[in-house]
Amino acid sequence: MSIYKNAVKKPITTMMVFAAVIVMGIYSLIYLPVDLYPEMDPPFISVITSYTGANASDIETNVTRPLENMLNTVDNLREISSVSSDNVSVITLEFDWEADLNEASNDVRDAIDLVYGFLPEGVERPTIFKFDLSMIPILFYAITAEESYPGLGKILEEQIINPLNRIEGIGSAGLLGSPQRRIYVEADPVKLAAYNLTIEQLGNTIRSENMNMPSGNIRMGMMDYQLRVEGEFAESYELNNLVVGHFQGSSVFLSDVAQVSDTLRDLSLDERIDGSQGVRLMVMKQSGANTVTVARDVKNAIAELQQDLPPDITVREIIDTSVFISDSVNNLSQTMLWALFFVILVVLFFLGKWRATFIVILTIPISLIVSFVYLFVTDGSLNVISLASLSIALGMVVDDAIVVLENISRHIERGTSPREAAIYATNEVWLSVIVTTLVIVAVFFPLTLVSGMTGVLFSQLGWIVTITVSASTIAAITLTPMLASQLLELKKRVEKPGRFSHQKTIEPFLEWLDGFYEKTLRVALRNKKKVVIGGLAVFIGSLFLLGFISTDFMPESDESRLNASIELTTGLRVEETMKVSRELEGIIRERYPEVQLMAVSSGSDDAGGISALFSQRGSNSIDMVLRLSPVSERNRSVWQIADDLRRQMELIPEVVEYSVTTSGGGFGSNTVDVEIYGFDFDVTGALAHQIRDAIQAIPGAEDVQISRKDDRPELQVVLDRNKLAENGLNTAMVSSAIRNRVAGMTASMLREEGDEYDIIVRYREDTRSAISDIESLVLTNATGSRVFLGEIGRVEEYWSPPNIERKSRERIVTVSAVPSGIALGDLAQEINSVVSSIDAPPGIMINVGGAYEDMAEGFMDLGLLLVISIILVFLVMASQFESFVMPFVIMFSIPFSFTGVILALFITNTTLSIIAALGAVLLIGIVVKNGIVLVDYINLMRDRGHALNEAIAISGKLRLRPVLMTAATTTLAMLPLALSRGEGSEIWSPMGISLIGGLVFSTVVTLILVPVVYSIFSRRGERDKIQEVRRRFRFLNGENPISGQ
Amino acid sequence: MKSVMIIFNQANTERVEFIFDRLKIKGYTWWSEVKGRGSETGEPRMGTHTWPEMNSAAMTIVEDDKVDELLECIKKLDEINKEVGVRAFVWNIERSY
Repeated sequence: MSIYKNAVKKPITTMMVFAAVIVMGIYSLIYLPVDLYPEMDPPFISVITSYTGANASDIETNVTRPLENMLNTVDNLREISSVSSDNVSVITLEFDWEADLNEASNDVRDAIDLVYGFLPEGVERPTIFKFDLSMIPILFYAITAEESYPGLGKILEEQIINPLNRIEGIGSAGLLGSPQRRIYVEADPVKLAAYNLTIEQLGNTIRSENMNMPSGNIRMGMMDYQLRVEGEFAESYELNNLVVGHFQGSSVFLSDVAQVSDTLRDLSLDERIDGSQGVRLMVMKQSGANTVTVARDVKNAIAELQQDLPPDITVREIIDTSVFISDSVNNLSQTMLWALFFVILVVLFFLGKWRATFIVILTIPISLIVSFVYLFVTDGSLNVISLASLSIALGMVVDDAIVVLENISRHIERGTSPREAAIYATNEVWLSVIVTTLVIVAVFFPLTLVSGMTGVLFSQLGWIVTITVSASTIAAITLTPMLASQLLELKKRVEKPGRFSHQKTIEPFLEWLDGFYEKTLRVALRNKKKVVIGGLAVFIGSLFLLGFISTDFMPESDESRLNASIELTTGLRVEETMKVSRELEGIIRERYPEVQLMAVSSGSDDAGGISALFSQRGSNSIDMVLRLSPVSERNRSVWQIADDLRRQMELIPEVVEYSVTTSGGGFGSNTVDVEIYGFDFDVTGALAHQIRDAIQAIPGAEDVQISRKDDRPELQVVLDRNKLAENGLNTAMVSSAIRNRVAGMTASMLREEGDEYDIIVRYREDTRSAISDIESLVLTNATGSRVFLGEIGRVEEYWSPPNIERKSRERIVTVSAVPSGIALGDLAQEINSVVSSIDAPPGIMINVGGAYEDMAEGFMDLGLLLVISIILVFLVMASQFESFVMPFVIMFSIPFSFTGVILALFITNTTLSIIAALGAVLLIGIVVKNGIVLVDYINLMRDRGHALNEAIAISGKLRLRPVLMTAATTTLAMLPLALSRGEGSEIWSPMGISLIGGLVFSTVVTLILVPVVYSIFSRRGERDKIQEVRRRFRFLNGENPISGQ
Repeated sequence: MKSVMIIFNQANTERVEFIFDRLKIKGYTWWSEVKGRGSETGEPRMGTHTWPEMNSAAMTIVEDDKVDELLECIKKLDEINKEVGVRAFVWNIERSY
């Protein structure tokens, strides 16, 4: 018993099986997390090694290089790059995307173990740091306050962060730029000298006074008492009354020599949200948690917690990554609904029967639901890629059901009972249905084998389409016949159909179309040469158009967010940086009414944690985050605003470098990098500047940056070792003394309500703000007498060497540029010509890379994919037709689908991105499917004994509707994707455009050119094989094949 | 006793069964998949890609008076749609065991 026979004979079982699938699918759908992209672990491992006291070039020679040499042997390594800066070396290893990072980090650890013994003493053990996407915050809040600002950190810690951490799925929450309470004891050096005191003495006194000490037990009578000495300060003002020494018989109080101020930590980072003081709150999710739900929970929690905060504190959202995710997902879901609607319309248009349409359409939800089960089982998520894949598949899943249903209807119309028609009609077509599905699978399945970042994207598309299309085939040969046998019935044709009935309106039109096509086909068959030459001319002509289409890597999407990072003159004080920030804020407020929220941080948080290792920020950097109104509510795109902002920044003299980015990670990187490899700083630096100037002259090149920062001015204390020795001092003693006087000595902590605040003793600011002040710092020598720092050394101003970047174990400087208004490929071409016109000095190598390199790799992958798909499709077709010629005839339409793609891209002025190119590759399967439908039928007609041209004309007439129908469902299902203008649509619309263009054009070609080519190829008796064989049977003429008589 | 062989499009299976039932013909022999083609109008039924449909055949041995009735039914069946195709052939039964 065959599967379809069983399905028809046991309708309840069939229904239950599919009901089970639907239930599982819905269950999966409920539990599927929603995310922007499929989960991908960026294959990066960093090795961070600190070697205190070494400068950048020491670090490079003694730490980075030996480590790099050893790490280079680790398996699956793709690229090794490093930054050596003062005190620390950061080596970044990039692995292949398929590499198992756990194994890789073990290998890295082993390699470090091998080399660690050879590193200089004092080098700390390298830490291995694995980058994880869950470290990227999903939510940013701006919290501003007026009166409560000084205590903001503590308030938020208790009232916001602690409750937030209890939410399921939260990784961590942290504050950026929160004010911290400090108690500064600022001494006057002159008074200290007068009373014969030092900073260290003050510090030690505070330390020894500020303590509680358990001092044993006392047994008194029947009781046992604990004895304690309580000396801790309860309030900071108590410090004032501390006796720090004696002078001429009277006590010297701390207030006599120093000023105690209970205040906020010195400013190094200034956070402003819309111009008012505040802090930023970042929320990170746990790896694998559902961004959308976590963000929703956090928002609810914050809305509730906010009510308990003091009234002057306002909490506002800066970035909510979940909004873009849910908007894109909703947008795609809407797209899918539209696609569904169009497909229903098409099916209804051609079939003209509600019940038949219902049966066909039912395969859509069923096959889509199967892919939810797949996603659930493989721990996938509902994301832009899986939804877009579903949207692409949507138009294709009805095809099989249509073929089956059409045949069943034909049988029923002949008077067969629906039950039998369902069985026998399915029997006639099930094999060819499976073959056409195989063709689609042959194109989509290779996508699952692509590696790298594009592979993450492609493989999901490949799996989903493969699975949905296979599911639709199964449904088409089980569910469709079953439903047809139950729902369809033989109805007499209505004698007098209504004026607007299908029979009276659309059917005559379709019949006219059939006839028109048949006539056209006959004309074409009479003019074969002209048709073929015309076709080739169109194809070759379209190739010339290709020159006008620019290439791009990934389409960028408008996420309603702008990030700007700005570098001012190196070494600028944070106060000066803030002035520029205020100026920029003014400009932005005035020029861009679209900006809904503006968070600006100036300077750097020196306690910024691990992130500080990766970003080179200083007191001269400004970071801005601008949130714009939603795409639909503004006229200017984020790119236009970014461009204008760049122009504005050029007008500010203090701004040395800037970059304005519009994407929040993901596939957004879009730079062309010129990598200059060479050892000599001066030579590579000069070359980098030369290249930067040349690139800046290219129109459309924006954010041109040199990765190596300018030398930073520094003050260096150079000690005279002879004089040190005479005074019984050494470098360690002197440097710690200087540190205590300038940076301050952490004497003790003030404990209050469970929190501890540092008490810092140092010189008053105005006594340590000039080189002469530093030279007149007073130190105590071994004999207890005082020396000035100027007596044992001098202060020199000098330029500290830059950070040393290396890639592939060579020093490198990168000049990067971002295209704006032109395509990535064009910019790369311009830059390439600029670079090749520059004479590189000997020993220097220049390479153009960046996203451009990824793009080239992506296109290479796609090219390979194209070849594999064509081969696989050929295999399937050759075996189906048992012929080597037929596949060629059908594949004749493939080049024309590319013509269609080129035309569509050209007309809509879309760049050829990886996504658009992927569309072109996918077309192979879809286009070929149309050809198969037609050629198969021509073969059939020839086999049934019709003459060649007659067979072609008849089959053309009969097969026009199925070809148009499958093409129309696929095209129209893609139309909403191509036209979509909402959030995230930029990524997928190019694919929609290229698929539609290719499909429409190739359908026309399939209908005219393929039959013509068929007739050319089979003129020499492709179908006369039987005659050929029979000619050899001459036994009836009396010939004996054995005796040869 | 006459033997009637009915050769018909598979799609008519249930109707042929129904005829046997209706005429109270109990005994018959049934071949569910047979190939063939008609001498004048009948399309080939080959179960191949070119001619995907298949025939079935049923042979029944009935009393002489049943034959006309049976042929009448077959004729009605054929007249629903000539394209589908059904034919019946009658011959004598010489002996039986």
